[in-house]
Amino acid sequence: MKQFGKILKFELASYVKNKAFVGITLFLVLAITVVMFFPRISTLFREESTDAPSGELAVMLISTDDAAQAEALKTAFAGAFTDYSVQVSTEDLDQIKNKITSGEVECAFVMTSPASFTYYVNNLSMYDVNTEIASEILRQSYQMSFMMGSGMSAEEAAGVMNVQIDGTVENLGKDQMQNFFYTYIMIFALYMVILLYGQMVAMSVATEKSSRAMEVLITSAKPISMMFGKVLASCIAGLVQISAIFGSALLFYNVNKSYWGDNMIIDSIFNIPPELLVYMLVFFLLGFLIYAFLFGAISSTVSKLEDINTAVQPITYLFVFGFIVVMISMSSGDVDSTLMTVCSYIPFTSPMAMFTRIAMSTVAWYEIAASIAILVGSTVAVGILAAKIYRMGVLMYGNAPKLKDVIKMLKKA
Amino acid sequence: MILELKNIEKSFGEKKVLTGVSFTAEGGKAFGLLGRNGAGKTTSIRILMNVFPANSGEVLIDGKPIDYNKVGIGYLPEERGLYPKKKIIEQLTYFAELKGMSKKDAVKAVDYWLGRLGMTEYRNKRLDTLSKGNQQKIQLVTALAHDPDIVILDEPFSGLDPVNAMLLKNIVKEQIEKGKIVLFSSHQMSYIEEFCDSIAIIKDGVIAISGDLHDIKRDYPRDRLLVRTEDTGKIIADFGSVCTKTDGGDLLIRLSDPSEKKAVMTRLVENYDIDEVKVFEPSLNDIFVEYAGDAAKED
Repeated sequence: MKQFGKILKFELASYVKNKAFVGITLFLVLAITVVMFFPRISTLFREESTDAPSGELAVMLISTDDAAQAEALKTAFAGAFTDYSVQVSTEDLDQIKNKITSGEVECAFVMTSPASFTYYVNNLSMYDVNTEIASEILRQSYQMSFMMGSGMSAEEAAGVMNVQIDGTVENLGKDQMQNFFYTYIMIFALYMVILLYGQMVAMSVATEKSSRAMEVLITSAKPISMMFGKVLASCIAGLVQISAIFGSALLFYNVNKSYWGDNMIIDSIFNIPPELLVYMLVFFLLGFLIYAFLFGAISSTVSKLEDINTAVQPITYLFVFGFIVVMISMSSGDVDSTLMTVCSYIPFTSPMAMFTRIAMSTVAWYEIAASIAILVGSTVAVGILAAKIYRMGVLMYGNAPKLKDVIKMLKKA
Repeated sequence: MILELKNIEKSFGEKKVLTGVSFTAEGGKAFGLLGRNGAGKTTSIRILMNVFPANSGEVLIDGKPIDYNKVGIGYLPEERGLYPKKKIIEQLTYFAELKGMSKKDAVKAVDYWLGRLGMTEYRNKRLDTLSKGNQQKIQLVTALAHDPDIVILDEPFSGLDPVNAMLLKNIVKEQIEKGKIVLFSSHQMSYIEEFCDSIAIIKDGVIAISGDLHDIKRDYPRDRLLVRTEDTGKIIADFGSVCTKTDGGDLLIRLSDPSEKKAVMTRLVENYDIDEVKVFEPSLNDIFVEYAGDAAKED
């Protein structure tokens, strides 16, 4: 136990002293801080720009043969396109085209009939929605003039056009739309952190082995202390990193809350129910540990650093399989499919699958308890097995063993 | 303190690595564990250090099963290496702490040994900035800092220059004088002969011979005569196939029975120009070649 404490301390210290680790953490915290301050900063710039004398607006031309329509359209377009100075043109098409290509005019709507137009623009931007807006204006004015033509007053016609439908939703279970975003973020964070830290544990074990420091270590400390010390240290480092990033996000979100406005997505992300946070932590920790043990054990059978990636592939596939199942179920909305239900009990997929089901659907408490119990039991078992593989693995040099050799080794251990 | 390995058996899967390995090492004396590559030396050492258990057999200290919490073991493995990217003082302290020392004692002991080995200036350097020989000296600290009762040194002299070898020799002598059990494993027979009172030679997982080095030498069949002479050609012609030439240019004459010694000696002295004739006493090298393997000469 004393040894375990020393190993944990030493391994933690190597994370703290690792410049890359500290650098990445600081960078991410800084990045998230900037993101959280973004609305406030952009408001500052916007205020400045409204204070300054407004620059010249781009010119939009309207050309139509019907002079009465021209004035009505100019009013309607000017109301909809506030970014443009809308002008009626009586020039012919070639002149209009020339003005557009020379840059004098940005775009032009040339009416060919009351319900059709041609839109002229020099470079059509990906985000150009002018034609949709124009279509909507024209449709409304067409409908209005038709209704007024058949005897309705302008008020009546406007009332028909702008009728409001009131509807309310009473959700008795979970709101998938609202939960989708933080579940997505959590699953994604779990995915990134497990793969990243799994690799770090694997590297750390393989480095000790390839530098032969293992020869002294294995005679100084128990393999189980070494395995648990290493994995728990990476777990703590991972939690600290995640807490720093999400913590600063939460802190600076609250500082800038008023600037973020009523964005539903952002709002839902920062309003996770507390019990879900607890589940998140539980599944996060257990998922992290079970995979870190696997990564540590497998990398102990590798002699050369270059072989790590090949050796850990089966674990990565297993993990990515779980990730894909969860992601597909989430986007299809059916998180209680048979596959998801099965996956929410299998220890290697349950951290992601069960958490997703809890967050996006209604799961009975005994199902959750069973899933967690299986996961805890498996994590401890995998940890002990990992220490056994490790003890045999670290003293083996030569070619990386195949999966079946590892299983054979387990039987002997 | 007496360390005893008794009837150790060990298999890895189908492969039997050690068969009935037994030897005894005493405190205040150095013990040489010899054998060719792959004979089972490292496996024996690892069982002795409890890295993995034996299938059967015992490791005893003063007749009782060894208690690893009480008996300290220091080990210099043949495969050298520590953390290349970490500061020397940090990792040496860590290793000493793993062996049960408090942080304060560990730093003190490590500083003492760094001073002793003339490595104090590298205290705060990273290991990979040092030369290979100096890295080896650093590694020696991991074997000695926690003042172990048993010191196991696997090829301790390989890679050391003569000055450093001398420094190490003095340290080893000092450890022996302190009453510790020093266990050597080496292929450099001259060092083993210099330090070790008793040896064991392992061949294919079996102890081929073990015991006091002087006794082994004395028990060696005294059936060969070493002859220094000018008349080499003549003697070979007369004696025939019982004669072989040594690397030093002397002659070795194998007797059909040790009791022939006097007769053959007289015949040599009376008939040829003989500078010297004596019973051949094998060096450790000869003993090793004889016991450690038939194929040894071809290697």
